[in-house]
Amino acid sequence: MNDLNISADQQAMLDRFLTQNKLFFAPDPAIMENHRIEARSPLEEQLLSQSVDRHKINEVRGLVVAALDESNTMIEQMGAAPGAKWGDMTTAIFTASGDLSMIAPHGVGGFAAAVFYPIKFILKYWVDEPTVGVKEGDGFIHNDARYGGIHNTDQSMMMPVFWKGKIVCWLSATIHEGENGSCEPGGMPAAAESKFDEGLKMPPFRVVENFELKRDIVTFLQNSVRDPKLQLEDMKVRLHSVLRLRERVLKVLEEHGEEALISTLRLHIEDVVEEVHRRIRELPDGTTRTVSFADSTLRENALLKLNMAITVKGDRMTVDMRGSSPELLNRSINACQASFKTMLFTGFMQNIWPDLPFTMAVFTPFDFIFDEKSLINGSFDTPQAMSLIPLFKTMTIACIPMAKFNYMLPVRYTAMVAPQYDQPATLIYGGLTQHTEYVGNFCADINGMGQGGRSHRDGEHSVSPPFAAHCDLGEIELMEEDLPIVRLGAFTLAKDRVGFGKQRSGLGYEQIHTYRNSGLWGFMTGCSGSLFSSAQPLFGGYASPTYPLCKVKGTNVFEFLKEQPDGLPLDIVEIMNTQPIPGAQYSTHDMGMTFELAAPGELYMMCQGAGGGYGDVLQRDPDLVIEDIENDLISHATARDIYRIVFDSDTLVIDREGTERLRADERKARIARGKPYDAFVAEWQTEEPPAHLPFFGCWDDTSQVYGVMMGQRMKMDGDKLASMFMLNPKDVQIAALQAEVASLRAAAGG
Amino acid sequence: MKRVSVDIGGTFTDCFVAWDERCIESKALTTHQNLALGFNDALRNACQELGLDERELLSQVDSVRYATTLGTNALIQRKGPRLGLLTTAGFRASVPLSRAKGYGVGLPHKQQMDVPNAQRPDPIVPIPMILEVRERVDYSGDVVMKLDEEDLRDKLRQLVDKGAEAVVVVLANSVVNPVHELRIRELFLDEYPGHMLGAIPMLLSHQVAGRKGEYVRAMSTIMDGFLHQVMYHGLGTLELNLRNAGYDKPMLVNHNSGGMAQLNSTDALQTVHSGPVSGIAASEHLALQTELGNIVATDMGGTSFDIGIVVEGGVKHYDFNPVIERWMVSVPMIHLVTLGAGGGSICAYDRMFRTVQVGPDSAGSDPGPASYDRGGLKPTVTDADLVLGYLDPANYAGGRIKLNPRRAKQAIENELCDELDLSPVEVAKLIKATVDANMANGIARELRTRGYEPENFTTLAYGGNGPLHACGIARALGVKRILAPPFASVFSAVGAGNMNQLHIHEMSTWTTLFDANQRSFFSDYARFNGIVEELEQRGRDDLLRQGFTAEQIQYRLELDMRYGNQRVETAVVTDLNRVTTPEHVLKLIDQFHTRYGERFGKGSQTPEAGVRINTIRVCSFVEHPGISFTGIRPSGKPLPPPPPIAQRDCHFVGHDGALATSIYGEDALTPGTQIDGPAIVVTRATTYLIEPGWRYQAAQQNAVWFTQIDA
Repeated sequence: MNDLNISADQQAMLDRFLTQNKLFFAPDPAIMENHRIEARSPLEEQLLSQSVDRHKINEVRGLVVAALDESNTMIEQMGAAPGAKWGDMTTAIFTASGDLSMIAPHGVGGFAAAVFYPIKFILKYWVDEPTVGVKEGDGFIHNDARYGGIHNTDQSMMMPVFWKGKIVCWLSATIHEGENGSCEPGGMPAAAESKFDEGLKMPPFRVVENFELKRDIVTFLQNSVRDPKLQLEDMKVRLHSVLRLRERVLKVLEEHGEEALISTLRLHIEDVVEEVHRRIRELPDGTTRTVSFADSTLRENALLKLNMAITVKGDRMTVDMRGSSPELLNRSINACQASFKTMLFTGFMQNIWPDLPFTMAVFTPFDFIFDEKSLINGSFDTPQAMSLIPLFKTMTIACIPMAKFNYMLPVRYTAMVAPQYDQPATLIYGGLTQHTEYVGNFCADINGMGQGGRSHRDGEHSVSPPFAAHCDLGEIELMEEDLPIVRLGAFTLAKDRVGFGKQRSGLGYEQIHTYRNSGLWGFMTGCSGSLFSSAQPLFGGYASPTYPLCKVKGTNVFEFLKEQPDGLPLDIVEIMNTQPIPGAQYSTHDMGMTFELAAPGELYMMCQGAGGGYGDVLQRDPDLVIEDIENDLISHATARDIYRIVFDSDTLVIDREGTERLRADERKARIARGKPYDAFVAEWQTEEPPAHLPFFGCWDDTSQVYGVMMGQRMKMDGDKLASMFMLNPKDVQIAALQAEVASLRAAAGG
Repeated sequence: MKRVSVDIGGTFTDCFVAWDERCIESKALTTHQNLALGFNDALRNACQELGLDERELLSQVDSVRYATTLGTNALIQRKGPRLGLLTTAGFRASVPLSRAKGYGVGLPHKQQMDVPNAQRPDPIVPIPMILEVRERVDYSGDVVMKLDEEDLRDKLRQLVDKGAEAVVVVLANSVVNPVHELRIRELFLDEYPGHMLGAIPMLLSHQVAGRKGEYVRAMSTIMDGFLHQVMYHGLGTLELNLRNAGYDKPMLVNHNSGGMAQLNSTDALQTVHSGPVSGIAASEHLALQTELGNIVATDMGGTSFDIGIVVEGGVKHYDFNPVIERWMVSVPMIHLVTLGAGGGSICAYDRMFRTVQVGPDSAGSDPGPASYDRGGLKPTVTDADLVLGYLDPANYAGGRIKLNPRRAKQAIENELCDELDLSPVEVAKLIKATVDANMANGIARELRTRGYEPENFTTLAYGGNGPLHACGIARALGVKRILAPPFASVFSAVGAGNMNQLHIHEMSTWTTLFDANQRSFFSDYARFNGIVEELEQRGRDDLLRQGFTAEQIQYRLELDMRYGNQRVETAVVTDLNRVTTPEHVLKLIDQFHTRYGERFGKGSQTPEAGVRINTIRVCSFVEHPGISFTGIRPSGKPLPPPPPIAQRDCHFVGHDGALATSIYGEDALTPGTQIDGPAIVVTRATTYLIEPGWRYQAAQQNAVWFTQIDA
């Protein structure tokens, strides 16, 4: 091949050809890797370079927030998806350039924080595309996280607002829909081995013209999912909430002028950027680190590392995620970096700076460093339907390094808190309801994760999901009215399953599910944290416990209860230990269960989890320990063995001197067990992860990353990660069984 | 008509006496230790004005009616018995977890977002007092696990041994099949007979709330159990007081449903928030009598701003899961939203956006605004109003509170002037504009989420600070007139005197009017009509018990309907009382379609996804003659302003420099009086601020209209 000397004109000609002959408008890395707000548009620059009336801006902000609140309330009230009923939705307004400016006061802000990516895609590719274009009355739908978003269960409606022929802002409404036609019901398929198993994958495209849904496209979408009713209903809901928002925005434009609106939307995010710079400047310069592990790909057990170092220098913050697990080519738990940043941002808003306005502009002063093809910077071809596995951890991971930065600050913006439980511990379901409707979705339990211990008090039990505040667990009676599920165990605090500490975590609760009155029903779960603690502790507390999935199969509990109404304890531990139903099969699993059909009356049992503990257990006030016993949160054994309390078992009267002695003894024992750091390192440090461990991520040196390819360990340079291809678990199981058969045959002599 | 109605608030006991053609407003301080004392004071004041003896008055009135915050206060102070809760096995933590969001219910948005500082309220029933009983009923009422009676007897014993003074029973799906709740009571009475000294009351959840939702029903039942004693004693004392003073008819108690009943037909929960709801009831009555059309009722007090909606045509706005104190409950309460905006709202510098933030934190009445001189250092809305010259320091709140202007100015200077680079007066104007805009945004949101526009409503402004901010709210809301209603200073008491005797009974149901999957229509008319009949019977029993005849009783059927699996439950009031034909079914679908479209926008309806009735509700009521509002619209030739009692320099939003402002006294309330702003009218009850560009017109019964002059 000859080397060509290409002139600038020639290069421009070639570039033009490439632009005009594009095979596929794939996700654009230039959009997806840019989390910062855009530079001011010429109009914004013109408006804001003049003197600005801050109070007028505030007045307009009040009107816009009221409009967002109104439109969000509409979705909440009209929405049909279970998620919409519990607060898993939001509405938002964006600048003309597509930057998120403001969101509704309630709902899941992360949705809006992710929607600016598809809006920027529309602006870059569709506005000038002759076959598409963007005009007044258009509405665009989107759900593919590769173009922005968390996962493809979330569907958004995006609409430009035109004023005097030009786009002045964008509006959006997003709902977690659940069902999306994926290979498993409910929209979050752990079984997806490629993105083509994920169901609907909508890049942003027009579905509304002249403010009306195009019924042909709606029909196509309905035809692609298991719940066509839900698809239609909520497309209408999103459209009409956006239309309501548009109506209000037009009113603002009429009354206050486009200059006021444009200035408000832009200044709002610029002010936030400036405030975040100021807050970073308050922190000491330096680097703090943490790691977090997922213990499952949802198909097999594995230890997948998230490796984080946060560096503060002046008024900038750098988040370095190098050394994290490589991506998995045929597992659905990958996330792209845009999703990662959105969730990290959500975690900052929930745990570090909850008083800040919810706009992605908060991260403009942040820099990020990733390895390419890592689990949280996955390539666009990887399946990402269960990105929640790394992303839920992403939302809590910053609690640890930020607590170290914040500890000495004279003024904090909220309380210091250990990570809350960070797994989507909820049952996903699918099938035919008692009302003969096909459904696929998940239960509201996802909203009830236990909080971590705090510097000033214990964590609250089941307080919120990590992705939003003030979400709702709903009512079991209403859930059972719609679904054939019967929650024999609805809310039972999971005794002794606590992140212990000076300030203990909040607890999660047990859930015992079964069903009746359906001819076709099944369940799945998509959690890690059954083998390796999920929520980390802070400053010497205990991590959250691990939680298994338990099943009782081969029986119909309703038949059993007819015969023996007093025969079944509604307590997971007791059921599994006493196995009260004769002939049933009792089994324990990790919480990564792909969808399986269940028989009526079979039990699926799991726990919502506890957060991490805060501080040393030996510093816990003995009176609080006894209060925990009285509230049935812990057993006597825990009080004695973990908290080292001496008390009378009958009266619960504390022997305070005895307690002091026991605690002093334990402190001495700790010292005796301890060893100098160098000696500890010498004893414990190894060159590599243990050979038996399916380990993904760096071991020590962040530039060297381990993975498992086709069952074989790999070691890679961090800047040259390969995508890991996992063996089919059934093949692995068959191979193991064949080996066992061979071994038995050999032992039997033939 | 001769009638006494009373609104016992946290600070004042308001009394309204209708005595034939005369209407008397009076107030006295609430006496929390014995509510009767405050009532007697207020009544005495009214009697003095009428020239009557209290016994003479009470022996002649047709009724005495109460709205009271007694329940709210008891909740705040946690003044109630030690409760035990029995619930379905597997549901023990339902109440402690409070649907997760319970940590933030009843708190301002800012605190709801601050999860790291989340803290659930101290429980009314602590975990050790919650025990499970082995039983289970499914969604349709099928018993899937029989009640374990042996286990139950043991649990009852445990609760009694732990000192339970009342027992609350909340079983899953008991509203569709209460068999186990009823059996528990039987066994309880068997173990602990009512005539024994150790007997304690037991409340069953299905009898308190008829709607599905085990958590909210539990909280309703718990609150009922918790408040029962204190309400019984408090209201019983009041009734005894009346008896001793010559009143020989049953005392009537206002309900938060917008109706009222005798004590023997009132449960404690129904009385909570009955004061503010009475204000809305008064608005409804006012609208009906004076053809005011739609009304948005606003009450701006010291710490909060209440908004309620009254719509023509009988559309009812309820909160099915209203928040009481810090808990969601299940009771059909007249919709009422409360914002953190009042005279005591604290004003702070917003560093990020370089402006002022008003509320939601409040200085309350203790220490109160800085100008109260009780140690408050933060500037408040009242301080701003004082700095702007609107308030007379010597005659604030009828002279009961002396204001210190120097403190108000100092607080604004210290906290805001340097940061905002503005003078105290400019800051005060900014505060006024901001709080007015906040309230206007709140009103607009409330109306628009229900499909209404503010310009199609008459806004009422009452409460201590309502007439002071009326023009500002109207301006920010974009409406051209606003009404300070008749008897504004005791408006809730007026409402208490206007309610009908009413009982609401409702039942959750799974009634599919149009099945989208089968494309079939509802035809089990007997089941539907059977439920309606049962609910009417319950209402009838309530009213017969109070001495009415069956002929006096009227019924209103309301249905909470939804499309497909939506959450929304739009209340549809129908003139049907039975369904017997397909035309009736289509009529219900059509009524729902219309109402839904009005609310959420034309084309937002999805009947193709199916149409369902979730709840059937029957309002059984007996109409009572109400207070007569007359001449509340300005009529005839306007009267000129009376001679001003003073002149002050005041500052107004949108106007540079001070404007010479005339101050008028009580005589400005003379019907027909017309005053153009800027001006201020100071009466014993309140202060009316007439901003430049606005006109004040006094009508009968102390009604005052503010109208934009160029309107």
